[in-house]
Amino acid sequence: MVNKSDHEIVPVHEILKLKEVNELLESKNLRLENLPKIFESDPQCKKLGAKPGHVIKIHRNDNGNQYLYYRVVVEG
Amino acid sequence: MAKTQTKENNYAVEYSEPVGIIAAQSVGEPGTQMILRSFHFAGIESAIATSGLPRIVELVDAKKKPTTPLSTIYLEGPASKDIELAEKVAKKINEVRMGTLIRRVVENFSKGTIRILLSKQELESEGLTPGQVADKLGKLLKVDTSVEKHAITVKMHTKNLKEIRQTMVKITKSVINGIEGAGKAVVQTNPKTGEIYIVSAGSNIEGIITVDGVDKSRVYTNDVFAVYRQFGVEAARNALARELKATLDEQKISVDIRHLLLIADAMTSTGTIKGVGRHGLSGEKSSVFARAAYEETVKHLINAASFGETDHMRGVTENILVGKQIPIGTGSVKLAIKKEDMSKIKPK
Repeated sequence: MVNKSDHEIVPVHEILKLKEVNELLESKNLRLENLPKIFESDPQCKKLGAKPGHVIKIHRNDNGNQYLYYRVVVEG
Repeated sequence: MAKTQTKENNYAVEYSEPVGIIAAQSVGEPGTQMILRSFHFAGIESAIATSGLPRIVELVDAKKKPTTPLSTIYLEGPASKDIELAEKVAKKINEVRMGTLIRRVVENFSKGTIRILLSKQELESEGLTPGQVADKLGKLLKVDTSVEKHAITVKMHTKNLKEIRQTMVKITKSVINGIEGAGKAVVQTNPKTGEIYIVSAGSNIEGIITVDGVDKSRVYTNDVFAVYRQFGVEAARNALARELKATLDEQKISVDIRHLLLIADAMTSTGTIKGVGRHGLSGEKSSVFARAAYEETVKHLINAASFGETDHMRGVTENILVGKQIPIGTGSVKLAIKKEDMSKIKPK
């Protein structure tokens, strides 16, 4: 599920599929709690309907430098 | 191709490079050259935004409300070209409180009425009529109002002195026109592109984006918490970096954006905006020694002792404290042996 950015300052958010989450954690040698967090009550999470435990893939763009960032959804 | 590849690799951050320390130094050193004092001008109300070190401190400490909130509101469609249409939108945003419209007040305690004489000049400059003001007041406070020329009479249900006085205070504070918390809105033109936009001295972007004619995708405020509430952490992180960069640029200090982005990332990694100081990142380090070395030494040591905390000695500060090699660069490489391999080693 992808939501289009509603503001120039908001990067595109996307819920990661379970298979992709496992691949990501394996390749980076991480555990889920090592990822940066995002609250369930976050406006972007609400839009996607993300629940705690989901991983959000963020298509960041810092001055033309495009890369992916991941945040795990937590309660709050 | 191979040459560019090597170049690119040279710029890449290496494993175990202390990026946080480098970021801190890169921001800290130019910070010493910035103005330490915010400007104050008698009479001019919040016309100048806080800049320099006070602004940096404000951002880094994650203050809930900036000292001088400002919003830049871009307009949709024809209003971005037509100054008259833009003025109309600005009127809808501009916050007008009853207090600024009042010239004189007469409270009649024996009849239980408040008679408010409105300033003709103020009414004209805001484009309001006494009738509109009375209607709005009646709706807001649920009281009966009547209008004659430039005077509004508010009829109270009681003759209680205290209640009348309290209503009077409510009247002066009530927002008659515009958006609460939007502040004073002024129309401005970009000299380069000729685009017309509105600058307001408030940060209520939640309210501002509900106004017709406002470009919802470009509304921007220097209040990072307002951005956080409206658009979420990722947007707040971008706003934080953008504000830091803008403040430094204004002082003609060039700091690589990546240092600022790192700071913004660290501040937003928990899902909300955390300050850097005692109540934020530094105060929440997992190591007891690192916290004790920073501030409130005794408090942290006593708490750690009474709860039996463990320090894994993985950070920089705690290792400096005890005189061990710090886990940075070559210092982070350790010699390790697998459990199974241990059995292969036979003692002589």
